[in-house]
Order: sequence, then C-alpha cells, then structure tokens
Amino acid sequence: MIEDTAAKIAARLKELWRTSRPTILERISLLHSACDRLTENPADREARSTGREAAHKLSGVLGVFGLPQGSEIASSIEFLLKSDQPPTAKDLVTLRAQIADLDAMIASRESS
Amino acid sequence: MSRRVLIIDDEEDIREVAALSLETVAGWDVLVAGSGAAGIAKARENHPDAILLDVMMPGMDGPTTFKELRSLPETANIPVILLTAKVQAADQKRFSDLGVVKVMFKPFDPLVLAQEIAATLGWQEL
Repeated sequence: MIEDTAAKIAARLKELWRTSRPTILERISLLHSACDRLTENPADREARSTGREAAHKLSGVLGVFGLPQGSEIASSIEFLLKSDQPPTAKDLVTLRAQIADLDAMIASRESS
Repeated sequence: MSRRVLIIDDEEDIREVAALSLETVAGWDVLVAGSGAAGIAKARENHPDAILLDVMMPGMDGPTTFKELRSLPETANIPVILLTAKVQAADQKRFSDLGVVKVMFKPFDPLVLAQEIAATLGWQEL
C-alpha cells in the first residue's frame, strides 16, 4: 500500500517535472541575467531583487523534484543577494559558480 | 475522518505537488488558490479544516493574507500553517510571531507532508 502510494506520487512527479521545467529554466535564466547585470554594475538593486526572488522560488521547488542540493544552492544564492551591500567581486565569482552548479543539476535530472 | 485543506500558493507546481501529497497519502479533500485574495474567498466559501499558506506571493503576501483571514469571523479560527522556502532566523521568528500554528519549509517531502500537517494539528487519523 505504501509502495503503491510512493509509486503513484513518483509517477505524477515525473509528469509534473515536465510541465514545471520551462518555469524552472526561466528562473535559472533570470539568475544568469541578474549575475551579468551585477557584474556590469554591482549596485544594480533591481538585478539583485530579481535574482533574489528567482533564487527563493527555486529553493522552494527543486527539492520537491528530487534535487535537495539544488534547493540548498538556490537558498545560498538568495541569502547572498539579500545583503544590503552590493556583491563583491568574490561574491560574483561564487554566484556564477553556484548558478553553473544549478545548470549542471538540472541537466543531470534531465538525463536520469 | 475526511479533512478539507486549502492550499494558497502562487506557484502552480507547488500547489500541484502539495495537493497530490495530501490527496494521495492522506485522502483529504484539497482546495487550491493561486493568490491571497482567491484563497480568502475560498476559505470563506468552503470553511476548510486547515490552510497551508505560502509566504512570498505577488500582491497580497502570506502574512497579509493571514491577518485578513484572522479579521473575518468565518475564517478567524481556521488553523493556518505558513509554508515558505528556507528563510533566515529573523524572518522565521517574524512569521512565528504572527500567530500561525506552525511555519513549515519548502522543499517538502511529498510522502511526509500530510503526516507533518496531521501531527502539527493533532489530527489522529494518520
């Protein structure tokens, strides 16, 4: 019975991943764009806000689809962008690496 | 005993997964709303046994929706659980201080979400 429930949920999650994927990729794209804009101008508040919101949404949803580490990384990005201070050059290197990690995780979820 | 739970979240994927979890694991009736305003209207109309309320939503956010629910006689006593992505400690305290039953965190495990809600609300059936 428990196995049936788990299997039913797993099958439905697989379908939902397909429908949610475009929104998730759009949020990753917003993160890339925010990172590019902050590299140009670290004081760009709108870019920070956009990136923070995208990261918050990703941190809530990735783990639900079996990517808990993706949620952790997105959460870390959100906190980095939540600071009152503009990101430093070091922050931006970290940010870019974290977004690349998210890209890799999504790609790996696709191929599994 | 069948329960009726209202999920208020602007993200469709979260609404779908949470509803899937509560319906499949617990057999509860689930209502969904994509905004605070729509959620308040559904709560007034359907009198759910509990409300699962997202924090960050465009327009009316979770805390504002909660205060509105508390101000209306027909929804004032419905237990509300806030559901949010991981937040810093100060935000968590701010949310807890609102008077919600509990603050729960996304991502949640679809297989255990219903048990967590039942345990929080003292519902014995699970």
